[in-house]
Amino acid sequence: MEKGRLRMGVDINENILSSDQDTLLNAAASDIRNKGFIIASADKLFNWARSGSLWPMSFGLACCAVEMMHAAASRYDMDRYGMLFRPSPRQADVMIVAGTLTNKMAPALRRVYDQMAEPRWVVSMGSCANGGGYYHYSYSVVRGCDRIVPVDVYVPGCPPTAEALIYGLLQLQKKIRRTATIAR
Amino acid sequence: MNNSTNKENDQFLSTIKSTIGKDIIETNVFFNDFQIIVPSKKIFDVLTKLHINSYFAFDQLIDITAIDYPEKPKRFEVVYLLLSTITNQRLTVKIYVSEGELVQSCVSIFKSANWSEREIWDMFGIFFSGHPDLRRLLTDYGFEGHPLRKDFPLTGRVQVKYDTDQNKVIYEPVNLVQEYRDFDFLSPWERPNNKEMNDTGDKN
Amino acid sequence: MSETEIKPITMNFGPQHPAAHGVLRLVFEMDGEIIKRADPHIGLLHRGTEKLIENKTYLQALPYFDRLDYVSPMNQEHAWSLAVEKVLGIKVPERGQYIRVLFCEIGRILNHILNLTAFAIDVGAMTPLLWGFEEREIMLGFYERASGARFHAAYFRPGGVHQDIPEDLLDDIHKWLKNFPNFINDLETLLTENRIFKQRTVDIGVVSKEDALNLGFSGPPLRASGHAWDLRKDQPYDVYSKMDFDIPIGNSGDCYARYLVRVEEMRQSCKIIEQCINNMPNGIVLANDAKMAPPSRKEMKGSMEALIHHFKLYTEGVHLPEAETYTAVEAPKGEFGVFLVSDGTNKPYRAKLRAPGFQYLAATEHMCKGHMLADSVAVIGSMDLVFGEIDR
Repeated sequence: MEKGRLRMGVDINENILSSDQDTLLNAAASDIRNKGFIIASADKLFNWARSGSLWPMSFGLACCAVEMMHAAASRYDMDRYGMLFRPSPRQADVMIVAGTLTNKMAPALRRVYDQMAEPRWVVSMGSCANGGGYYHYSYSVVRGCDRIVPVDVYVPGCPPTAEALIYGLLQLQKKIRRTATIAR
Repeated sequence: MNNSTNKENDQFLSTIKSTIGKDIIETNVFFNDFQIIVPSKKIFDVLTKLHINSYFAFDQLIDITAIDYPEKPKRFEVVYLLLSTITNQRLTVKIYVSEGELVQSCVSIFKSANWSEREIWDMFGIFFSGHPDLRRLLTDYGFEGHPLRKDFPLTGRVQVKYDTDQNKVIYEPVNLVQEYRDFDFLSPWERPNNKEMNDTGDKN
Repeated sequence: MSETEIKPITMNFGPQHPAAHGVLRLVFEMDGEIIKRADPHIGLLHRGTEKLIENKTYLQALPYFDRLDYVSPMNQEHAWSLAVEKVLGIKVPERGQYIRVLFCEIGRILNHILNLTAFAIDVGAMTPLLWGFEEREIMLGFYERASGARFHAAYFRPGGVHQDIPEDLLDDIHKWLKNFPNFINDLETLLTENRIFKQRTVDIGVVSKEDALNLGFSGPPLRASGHAWDLRKDQPYDVYSKMDFDIPIGNSGDCYARYLVRVEEMRQSCKIIEQCINNMPNGIVLANDAKMAPPSRKEMKGSMEALIHHFKLYTEGVHLPEAETYTAVEAPKGEFGVFLVSDGTNKPYRAKLRAPGFQYLAATEHMCKGHMLADSVAVIGSMDLVFGEIDR
């Protein structure tokens, strides 16, 4: 439907997905100078803002928590992606369940998840959180945190390297841009 | 690992026998680790004597643990691991306990017994009398059963999930997608003793 | 004016808390800001490791030990390997022993960096964490080059280590080691003479020598209370008897003393690593006994007997004679011990894991009583708790 598409102003849709910030900003700036306004799809704009500044909540349970700390530390810096660890669930967007979830901890996990404000996402990190992992057959382990909270991205590994976790978070960003709407 | 010679071993054993001799049922030595077995009623006295005795000076109770032998008449063995940092000696004290029998708590001698005894109560169901605060330590808040007993199944009896109708986390009976695969390698031809396999003439 | 009675309030700290170092739920009874009673609730990471070990063979049970104290994984594997070797009577080759000591000390540095920098963050200093984690990344790179995995390596096996280290790894460790003391010096410049750090840690969580022994302390907290006891010197295993190093002892038993002991231990570990690199012999790394330790893959692909041994060892495993033994190592946190009961089959009958953090956490009430809430954070940080080993 070429007719219905934007003619005036910059088509921000493609530029966001290609994440070429310079082109985007130059185009937007030139538009403002020339025409005085820019047009963007509200959905895309919100998703760009949400994915570009995902604040994870630190929910480190076991060994994967140390790899999560490595991902946030100096070498694989998460802060350059806009991810800042927040201790309080009410200020966080995404919860990274890092480690083995036990039966005793499950109600606490659910309560923390309920305290998060919409829109919220969950990343399950490591094989213990994905499906029980190495402790699948134990009497006190929940066989996957998706029995308690709905999960968006599963990051495999035991533990997943810090790079793998960053890859998983970037996939989450792509998922947000692709599937989230204003209504969510 | 203890590097003591046999002479020192014998001397140590004889000194122990002279200190608490009338209480000992038997002694064992495994790879330079000494083990004495005492009656379960006498454990408090034995530990007190070992703690205050200036020759041994067992000043640390490293750990208390229990082992479950369901086919024996006295089902549990409670094991006390002692360490003397002054004489660099370790000692294991064992008692045999049957199900439902009370064991006197050693918290007043060694404060480190506090949580170790709680854990044994949780995992095995052995009750320690005189313990200030005996309740579940490691397992879930409403857990039923004692997990490390041999008749408790590996996967347990309950599992947890979040129920969207009731809006809370509920317990339901265990239902595994794939059961734990326990391969039994002890075929009728194999004998579990390494030495006998070697005696058939295989080269090492 | 009538007297009003003030009830102490009960406060819940955790289980999800940035300073709780994992899943700890501490219930405090407080009179205003002063703590009257502390009751730790653990078990939030209880995964049933001991029960699972009873259903696996000795080699299959090895990776569980990595996941206990997950900040210095190889030290725990060491305890299990030593226990199995003691019962079987295997002698580890010299090169294998040196490699084990080398990686144990690297693990010690890994643990102390994480503990000290996380402790610093808890009391308010953010920079050491960022500096320290780069050093940790380099060391995890060494783990990966030796064993294949950054973290849970399953590298120490009963009989030695699994495979030989690549040739240039020792040179790289040596190069890194030349610069590492600068990191320790920078850390000390930031923290040791820092007024704020001292005010938050001196005279907090004091434990006297007698109390420390009675409470079951071992490792740095016991040494910081003034008692000279280190398993590497007193009951040496592997080639520690040939190493020349000192043991730092504190005298006040507070959080500051524990901090200083750990910093100095890092320096001594550097000395040990240097000696390992200089004295590393050539040779095999895994015991040559094919009935107990698997042959190398090259041999397995060529020889029929090696193939049969490989198959039997990896499926059925070794059969241990009946024995009950306790083996302990000086893990970075304290004395980590395994009480192994074998019944003659290929699976352990009972393996009890004695974790040092268990007793430290039990002593929390003793240490926190009378202090304020913010001091409890400093005490928990200085005790070096990792819930993988406490809850197992």
